[in-house]
Amino acid sequence: MKVLKIIASFSLVLLPMLSLALPSLPSGLTWETNNDAKPWSSKEARSGGTFTDFILTFPPTLRTVGPDSNSSFRSYINANQMGLTHFHPNTLEVIPQIATHWAYGSDGKTLFYKIDKKARWSDGVPVTAADFIFTLELMRSKHINAPWYNNHYSKELTDVTAYDDHTISITGRVSKPKDELHYYYGLTPTPKHFYKNITENWVKDYNWKVIPNTGPYQISEVKKGKRITFKKKEDWWASDRPLNKGRYNVDKVVLRVIRDVNIAYKHFEKGELDTFSLILPEFWHNKAKGFLFENGYLEKFVFYNDTPRSSTGLFLNTATPILKDKSVRIALAHSLNFDRVIKTILRGDYERLNAFHTGYGEFSNPNIKAREFDLAKSNMLLNEAGWNERGGDGIRTKNSKRLSVNLVYGRKEHNDRWAILKQDALKAGIELNLKLQDSSSHYKTIMQKQHQIAALGWSTGFRPAFWQHFHSENANKPQTNNITNISNQSIDDGITAYRSETDNSKRMQLANKLAQLIHDEAAFIPSFMVPYTRGAHWRWVKFPDIPANKTSNSLYSPFGDGGIFWIKSEIEIETKAARKNKTRYPVIEKTFDIFSVKNL
Amino acid sequence: MIQFSPQAKKRWNKFKALRRGYYSFIAIIVLIALSLFAELIASNRPLIIQYNDNIYFPSYGDIIPGTTFGFDYRWETDYRQLKIHFEQNELDGWLLMPVITFNPLESHFIEGEYPPYSPSIDSGHYLGTDMAGRDILSRIIYGFRIAILFSLFLLVVTYIIGVFLGALMGYMGGKFDMVFQRLIEVLSNIPILYVIMIVASIVTPDFWTLVLLLAAFSWMGLTWYMRTETYRENNREYVMAARAIGASHLRIMFKHILPNSVSILVTFFPFSVVSGITALTSLDYLGFGLPAPTPSWGELLQQGTDNLEYQWIAISAVAALSVVLTLVTFIGEAIREAFDPKKYSYYE
Repeated sequence: MKVLKIIASFSLVLLPMLSLALPSLPSGLTWETNNDAKPWSSKEARSGGTFTDFILTFPPTLRTVGPDSNSSFRSYINANQMGLTHFHPNTLEVIPQIATHWAYGSDGKTLFYKIDKKARWSDGVPVTAADFIFTLELMRSKHINAPWYNNHYSKELTDVTAYDDHTISITGRVSKPKDELHYYYGLTPTPKHFYKNITENWVKDYNWKVIPNTGPYQISEVKKGKRITFKKKEDWWASDRPLNKGRYNVDKVVLRVIRDVNIAYKHFEKGELDTFSLILPEFWHNKAKGFLFENGYLEKFVFYNDTPRSSTGLFLNTATPILKDKSVRIALAHSLNFDRVIKTILRGDYERLNAFHTGYGEFSNPNIKAREFDLAKSNMLLNEAGWNERGGDGIRTKNSKRLSVNLVYGRKEHNDRWAILKQDALKAGIELNLKLQDSSSHYKTIMQKQHQIAALGWSTGFRPAFWQHFHSENANKPQTNNITNISNQSIDDGITAYRSETDNSKRMQLANKLAQLIHDEAAFIPSFMVPYTRGAHWRWVKFPDIPANKTSNSLYSPFGDGGIFWIKSEIEIETKAARKNKTRYPVIEKTFDIFSVKNL
Repeated sequence: MIQFSPQAKKRWNKFKALRRGYYSFIAIIVLIALSLFAELIASNRPLIIQYNDNIYFPSYGDIIPGTTFGFDYRWETDYRQLKIHFEQNELDGWLLMPVITFNPLESHFIEGEYPPYSPSIDSGHYLGTDMAGRDILSRIIYGFRIAILFSLFLLVVTYIIGVFLGALMGYMGGKFDMVFQRLIEVLSNIPILYVIMIVASIVTPDFWTLVLLLAAFSWMGLTWYMRTETYRENNREYVMAARAIGASHLRIMFKHILPNSVSILVTFFPFSVVSGITALTSLDYLGFGLPAPTPSWGELLQQGTDNLEYQWIAISAVAALSVVLTLVTFIGEAIREAFDPKKYSYYE
């Protein structure tokens, strides 16, 4: 007893001293929160059941940073590792996650967060400010063998400060609009108590370790090469939050490794997989039919979303002698018959992408339209550019040089698309030499800027990103994302203004102006976009009235913004019996277009 | 005029007597000969056009721009359009199309329907089309020409290297033999397909690079046979006699020893053709072969297996492949039989 008393009195003295060592919060902060955001789940949702999906390859590691960690499986782990704040998937307003409140510093580049005192790691340890500081420590460590992260977390994120166990601030390099501060500078905590030290064997040691997380599910079983199982936490700390009600309903999520999509579809038809995304036209039109659909066992949903579209198309390297001439680039754009590809082999399912940044709301310029297939225009432009002779094979020539360009692409599934474009380009007197490369050397060729024309799609971001793709600073040097090698003073000026502007409405104007300038350069020929997500599921999978969100890329994601469907096991038993005695149910094929851009 | 030795004549007669092999041989020769003139069998260019007192043969050579026939465009004439024009204005001229009116590279779309189109006599796609609307029969014909020429060129290159080095190893023996034996052992253990995949991922191979690449890794098999054969022949009296007269090494090797070991080379011939065709087909199947849209059996097979619900794609490719490979194997069997030393051997 005596000893305890001494310790107690000691700590009474020590505690204020410790807190003295901590910096104090700046005065005048306005704390914000958002408890009124509208939930997107259904009140009818019921918990229980197992959801089975498939992955095409077994992940090479369970780490989320370091070598080989950039596999698609990472998104499943990250979706269960909550951040400080998040964006509402329909309204894009900031909503709380680990942080309950947030405030903005007067310098325009610092964010303050109050961490929820209830927040717990999956092993029961509370989440504290130290875990956020540790994220910075880990990401800056040389031992994780991830130069991009090292650089990003030292140069872009400059500081994380703890004011007490549950209050932190994060400072970034430059000031940004408020929502972007959350997006770019918001951190995910890393369990400090779990890692302890970062040693040089970090990469090897943590290859197959299941890291404590803060989200609703945690990996419960890893069968190498076969499957990975996620189990719902029994008393997840955030389950009482209004936005989490009716979400994350299934008890278990099993991800089976099935290495071929065609075979996976057979498993789906047998009822071993609950859902199947059917974006590809040949799957949607040819495979997803037959008695399973006619008898109503499988239901089909098409869901139009409104989300940034990947910048997919042809990138013309302006450093190539032939493509240096802008009129040749414009003529080429008029010589490619993308509509024919859409109307034939894509069965009218895809749409023509119009601009590099499409689907970014008001940041996208709606007046920009992709150049249409028009041989007369192309003919006129090419004649003016001096390509008016034609060789015996019908290809144009200029000073005995043929108008022949190489197109490199990285997916053999796209052979037919390019083959059809090639046929029509021939009419314009342009020869396209198709060169298929495997995806890693395709990427390498492009990063070395050795391509003439490259078919590629850039993934999307929160806001249009111009600097990396179009600034002259990134032109004509390897390993940068300006793969068209565009170098234009007015574009540069626009990008500089866009980057330093922190007022969103002015940024929208600048982004629109830049989009026009980029269109005028004609170094990017937009190809296709898919304005929806679609798929089929067994009738025991139930959804809210609106089965997904404005920004959903999939109808069936069990984690993250998804997890709003539920499984009725009694219907599963009923349906399996019905299949045997051939009972019929009404056919269900639904289209949801409330978020369709065309409807607005 | 080439003079065949009585032995060769005997073997040829024996080969002819083996009906199955002999007919297969004739069939293959006919197929190769026909495929060499594929442009006259399957093409979207007519065989002959008569227009305003001029006669055109567009099958080979440069394109004929649309302006030649009074159209307003300078790219290649759309001969289907021209045909319709002639049907409506018979006085303008006439044209004769080949049996198959589709070029292997051309996607042909039927209004209101999506490819692939099933086999039909009305549409002119006798074996249907592939996923991109290209005529399968036309692609099989051109694909055959590429595959067979590929394997023949491959065979010539591997035989030249294999025979030359094998003979040299057998003839010289000693350290040279030793070094090359080890080298060949090392080379034989390299998995060819992987090497080609790696190379193909860096540069898109064309016809000749693929021939040379495959040849670089497939000449080894032949050297062993050639080496043993040379070893054996080397000790025969006629070789010693030639040496005694003062014949040069090269002369002894290629004038004396080679003709006497030719039987072993000939028996391997058909099997090399088979392996050449299979190699190209499997590379194309995996997507590491000739660049798209080159007509190819492997590529067709891949489309077929990915889309089993359109049976005609896979069936056409498998049938074509089986027929040709079976024919060549029949020939191989017959040759082996005809060259069997148990039946015709000469020993001094």
